[in-house]
Amino acid sequence: MDMVQGAATVERLHEEVQEVRYREATTTFCRLVTEENRPLKTMIKEAIAAAAPYVQVPSHLMRLPNGELRGVNYDHTILGWRGAIALNKEMGGSRGILPNIQAMWYAPQGLNVWEQVVCEFPGHYARDGEQCNAKFPGPDDHVNRFDGPAWTVPKIYFEDHAPIEDGSVDDRLVSMNWAIAEGHKDEAYGLFLGLAKDPSARMKLKDAILFAGITDLQDTIINRGGYQNIGHKALRARALVDTADYLGWDDSHALFYTVVPDLGCSPRLYGLWTEINTICKIDLPHYADIPRRTAKPLTEREMDILTEALLWGGPFDVNNVIMALFKRGAGILDVGDAVIVAFQRYFIDVLEHPNAFLHPTHALDYMNVVMSWARDYENPHRVKAIFMGARFMNDAIRSNAIYTRDPKTRLEPRSVHKAWADSIAIDRMLPILKDYMLQQDAPHACALVDSYLERTTERAKLLDTITYAACHWQNDPHVMRNCSTSLEEYRVNQTSRKDDLIRGYAKHQSRYVKRAPTHDCYRVFAQYFQPAE
Amino acid sequence: MSNQATLDELWKVRNAAATTLTLTEHQMRRAVRGASIDELVALVETFSPARAVGPEWSRTFEPLVERLWAWRDDATMAALAEAFRARGPAWMGVTNALSPENGEHIRGDLRQPAWARTPAFGVS
Repeated sequence: MDMVQGAATVERLHEEVQEVRYREATTTFCRLVTEENRPLKTMIKEAIAAAAPYVQVPSHLMRLPNGELRGVNYDHTILGWRGAIALNKEMGGSRGILPNIQAMWYAPQGLNVWEQVVCEFPGHYARDGEQCNAKFPGPDDHVNRFDGPAWTVPKIYFEDHAPIEDGSVDDRLVSMNWAIAEGHKDEAYGLFLGLAKDPSARMKLKDAILFAGITDLQDTIINRGGYQNIGHKALRARALVDTADYLGWDDSHALFYTVVPDLGCSPRLYGLWTEINTICKIDLPHYADIPRRTAKPLTEREMDILTEALLWGGPFDVNNVIMALFKRGAGILDVGDAVIVAFQRYFIDVLEHPNAFLHPTHALDYMNVVMSWARDYENPHRVKAIFMGARFMNDAIRSNAIYTRDPKTRLEPRSVHKAWADSIAIDRMLPILKDYMLQQDAPHACALVDSYLERTTERAKLLDTITYAACHWQNDPHVMRNCSTSLEEYRVNQTSRKDDLIRGYAKHQSRYVKRAPTHDCYRVFAQYFQPAE
Repeated sequence: MSNQATLDELWKVRNAAATTLTLTEHQMRRAVRGASIDELVALVETFSPARAVGPEWSRTFEPLVERLWAWRDDATMAALAEAFRARGPAWMGVTNALSPENGEHIRGDLRQPAWARTPAFGVS
């Protein structure tokens, strides 16, 4: 074990986060849990609190001097924590702690996004996406100063506020949603804080905040640059609800400060929501009465038709197919489950370029928020959210397809390796699968998964292997979020094709572009937690 | 499906579609072979993400590239590639599709069985 100087304290953790010393912060986090016996939950709360003042931006659109707009990324620190908390429960044992260490490793790199994109603060966006060191190098050619530490204190764009507690719960919920939609961040945040203090209002508040996030979604990302949110308002709302449930609502102020103000940040996009409202008003006036499930789930033929529309059709084809399913009596989750498995065919059969997974995986994660909302709440608009999720998926596919396929990123078919995979004994397959995933060799990894699924009914160890391998990759909170989506949706999916979720999961986790080629974070985790491999 | 008459009808319809497609391929081959470099560049330019009328159009690029490699010589393809190489990352897929490596791959894959009237191009 490396020698680390000084005591591991919470104050030290806060300093290291704010100074963008992510390696040191991760070590301190590990030491607090393993040497100081601090509960993991408490340390997650502290790590969130350390970053909370520095994750807001004035807008997600930056107006350039020439009048053009560029997008400013959404905070991903809290998305990493939400995914990690979910995966901790999924994997269990010391292995389940790995996603949390990855979330910790990322968090200091995700502060002050606005400053990062203009190369005035270090972190993941400045170092990688913007390549700031090439534009503004430091004195030492061998040091990328945008890897940290910070040379200035991070900016605070949104000060903490007092709760607003006047008025009835229902009136305040309406006012909160209005304030979010109008971009009145102070009022929305204050109203949220007041409502969060009242346990009797909790279900209504969670439902309202998820509704606010889900309904704010672009109608298309095709050639839109930064004028989109790729589902981040919904992802953020889900992160708030799940993480507060985990930490305890009375112990979640820093979490609220992290998440809520951004829900009202610009741009706020209601074009798609308006369209879906209009078509439901015309053709599905009793949408609020549609139950979660009915005795009329989708037939195999209907799933084929849905798959064809989702992958190869246009937006109105998707509307039409889903509308027909609801009109003929399918339930909300019946259709939602089918949309989720249909979309997997895009991962399994079509996607090749590692960069092209970004928007489709966001669409899948958005749909996961929709589905969890549909499962756990009684909001009358849940049916419309199924349309929204399917449209986002279809649009992500069409957005990729507007670019001609690059033959240099061609993947050999997984079927080429099927005989090889079939020759491996079942009890030897999972370690081999892990190796191929760590090599990012999708054809071999997917052939192994295909063979495994055909030869055994065991699924838990397979999913655990894919997830654990995926979580070796650092600097990317999307990994934890994508993993938790796939695991959750697999567990609840009721279609005959649910194994396609595993096939799609293995494909995107063995092909999706990686942000670092090394596993330094994993090594810190292994040093302190000594996981069973 | 158990109705033989319906199967027969479906096969007739399929054959009619195949005949139409074959005749269209012949017309396309004549047009591609007779086109100037500038005319081919103009055709490929319609696959720009900024100009494509939609993904349905962009998805037909690969079948077009197969035909270009099948019906035009290396010098023409090199001239086409040169026209797009300097246009930036948005054209990377096009440039790579026009590369000699991709041409070799495509020409190696296209087959012409004795009974077939055209190579086994991508259809869609």
